[in-house]
Amino acid sequence: MKILLAEDDFASRKFMDKQLSRYGECDVMVDGEEAVDAFMMALEDEPYDLACLDVMMPVMDGYQVLKAIRDIEAQKGIPKSKRVKVIMTTALNDERNVKMAFELGCEAYAGKPIDMEKFEKVLKKLELI
Amino acid sequence: MAEEFNTDSMLSMFLYESNQGLEKLEGIILEKQDADCFDDADINEIFRIMHTIKGSSAVLMYENIKTASHKLEDVFYYLRESHPENVPHKELVEKVLAVSDFITGELDKIKDGDNPDGDEKELVADLEEFLGELKGEIKKQGIRLPKANKQEEPTQFYITPVAEPDSHFYRIVIRYRSDTQMSNIRAYSATYALKEVAEDLLYTPEDILSNEASHDSILAEGFHMLLQTKASKEEVMELIDSSEAETIDFDEINSTEYGKALTEFGREAPPIVINLGDEKGEAKGEKQQAPIAPGDYVVKSKETGKGKTLAKNQPKQQAIISVNIEKMDALMDMIGELVIAEATVLQNPDLKVPGLDLTNFQKAAAQLAKNTTELQDVIMSMRMMPLTSVFQKMRRIVFDVSRKLGKDIEFEVIGENTEVDKNIIEHISDPLMHLVRNSVDHGIEDNPDLRTANGKSAKGKITLEAKNEGGKVYISVRDDGKGLNREKLYNKAFENGLIGDKPMSEFSDKDIFKFITLPGFSTKEEVTEYSGRGVGMDVVVKNIQSIGGRLEIDSVEGQGSEMTLVIPLTLAIISGIVIQVGEAPFVIEMASIKEFISVTEDALIQEPGGEEYIVLRGDCFPFIRLGEKYDLPGAKSKLEEGIVAVVEHEGQQICILIDKILQEQEIVVKPIPSYVKKVKGLSGCTQLGDGSIALILDVGGLMIEEERR
Repeated sequence: MKILLAEDDFASRKFMDKQLSRYGECDVMVDGEEAVDAFMMALEDEPYDLACLDVMMPVMDGYQVLKAIRDIEAQKGIPKSKRVKVIMTTALNDERNVKMAFELGCEAYAGKPIDMEKFEKVLKKLELI
Repeated sequence: MAEEFNTDSMLSMFLYESNQGLEKLEGIILEKQDADCFDDADINEIFRIMHTIKGSSAVLMYENIKTASHKLEDVFYYLRESHPENVPHKELVEKVLAVSDFITGELDKIKDGDNPDGDEKELVADLEEFLGELKGEIKKQGIRLPKANKQEEPTQFYITPVAEPDSHFYRIVIRYRSDTQMSNIRAYSATYALKEVAEDLLYTPEDILSNEASHDSILAEGFHMLLQTKASKEEVMELIDSSEAETIDFDEINSTEYGKALTEFGREAPPIVINLGDEKGEAKGEKQQAPIAPGDYVVKSKETGKGKTLAKNQPKQQAIISVNIEKMDALMDMIGELVIAEATVLQNPDLKVPGLDLTNFQKAAAQLAKNTTELQDVIMSMRMMPLTSVFQKMRRIVFDVSRKLGKDIEFEVIGENTEVDKNIIEHISDPLMHLVRNSVDHGIEDNPDLRTANGKSAKGKITLEAKNEGGKVYISVRDDGKGLNREKLYNKAFENGLIGDKPMSEFSDKDIFKFITLPGFSTKEEVTEYSGRGVGMDVVVKNIQSIGGRLEIDSVEGQGSEMTLVIPLTLAIISGIVIQVGEAPFVIEMASIKEFISVTEDALIQEPGGEEYIVLRGDCFPFIRLGEKYDLPGAKSKLEEGIVAVVEHEGQQICILIDKILQEQEIVVKPIPSYVKKVKGLSGCTQLGDGSIALILDVGGLMIEEERR
């Protein structure tokens, strides 16, 4: 499985990288813009299966990245079933934030500190592992 | 539960909703446990509650709750679709209660930060069996089984964060010995060490590394830190290098104080917020009304040594507790009673004994009066809320409706910070929504060309304005659209038989505009999704009247309309003037009194029908003798002996003959008890200082009476 991880905080990044590497190849980005670039690049040969996006990041925030990804996919005519699965990973778990993210089209919203057990369950439900 | 757990807001929402649902469910069950069966409404309600719990538990991945609620939902699905007879009611009640107990137990575990690990298998198997029997029964009764209750697995999930103990808040002041070298570097290493455990850390002076001079100020004033962390005091102390420190002041504070301290810090220096994983605790508890959008959480420039600051303004810290509105109302009532009691003491007849020395009493009385007035002001301000949130809703409505209807509309809001009583806010939201929708739908022209032809800009404009004037709040919705057409309105009202057969010339503009508030009136040929059904404006008026307000309509055809809600600022305490007619005291609301005047008989005009008018400075006003009207013995009947009060209501004035003016007083409005026959022209009663009851005159009511005559 190919994973895109966008996270600007060093400690979180390290942790998530380690955790996610168990499931597949993990590309690590430090800001939102880089994440979108990486996503675009991967679309040309082997697209990502999973994207984990932090919300508070420089240049573009996680919601913007999510929106950009979904827009790009829509524009390229990628069917819903083939879309990259997106999990927001953030401490901003206000109900309104979560709702907005769901509306923007993420598959899961993980509140920090992340419960890795549940995280894995979700990966199973999303049929990624 | 040893420690308070910091519950995630999504989680608490789930817990709250589920608990509410279960409470309702149990209410239904217990009410109907001895009945023969549930009726359709109950079945629907239980189905809906289970459906909701199933859905949300699936998103939050509580599998056992999901499975159990799903099974029960299934049972009620069949009940709902097939209406089978002979359902074993007792057994069904037991099943529902079993599921409800199970879910309640699991929810409690979640609340305590435990894992909801209850085993639902037995319960589900039991339900399955019951469902099997039920299906068999349905078939036997010859009813076709409905399609299986189709399940949609959720495609979106929410991963709740690991439960953690609540954060502590500390205020730390480190004072270094005066001979300490490079205290700024020491301070920095303290902050650096604390970053490991900090959820939020603020310090001043802030530029400790880049500014050499900070060394001196640290020595002089000490190094101040605000820390939010999950670590205990001992752990934090260990992290701070205390070798050169003379004293370290270490205070644990609560989150409210922390919030306050944050703003203090903010004034001295822009706060540096270091977010290590967790959002600030108190921000969660606070109401954030501004809508969020992607892009709000971009982290601004990130320099080394500096924390990150959100682009979105950190909401100002404000400590808020929520209080049950009933308690507030009770307090309000108590204060009302206190005001009466105060008057009873200060105007006590015992004090009127001649020769008493009341100097000290008067001093104390003045003090008491001052305090009760202040108390009143405070409770009033506690109940006041800005209209911001209501106006925000309107913005959304204009946006939605105008987009749907394809109209280009600019929306302007003026005075959204105007504060009104909380009760009133609840009552005006719906009426206001209706007015705004009407303006977008009917007010603004469908075709922009029509606008430009009339010399207006193609873009429509709607203004929502609130202002506070003379104890009343005015909220107006103004559009620059086509305005109201006198003829059309009249014809429509005539066709619908709402006005009898009076000719148009008998109605003033205002009268005709008022037609739109009649029940069953609509000029729009076609009913749109938003308005035009002819219900609504009458409801608006009713709602507004129920809180003592009124609706004013003004319009110029071709230029636009303005609908204004005029609402009293508060409902409970008004200031009024106590008057006397015969033996009876009355109260007239201060705001409606224009003047008191002495008039001679010359000014009186008597019509053959018995109506009387008074001419004042060339204007003629209807005249009422209060004593005569209410048959009060001993009331003065000669104009020269009494006083004429000129009172105003909705721009009209009438004159009332009274005997004398007693005093000005803050009065607590009480409704006239239901065992007293309703008397026209009176709106309530109140208790006066000497314990007697005074009736409150309803000026508007008096005028209507007068017109009818």
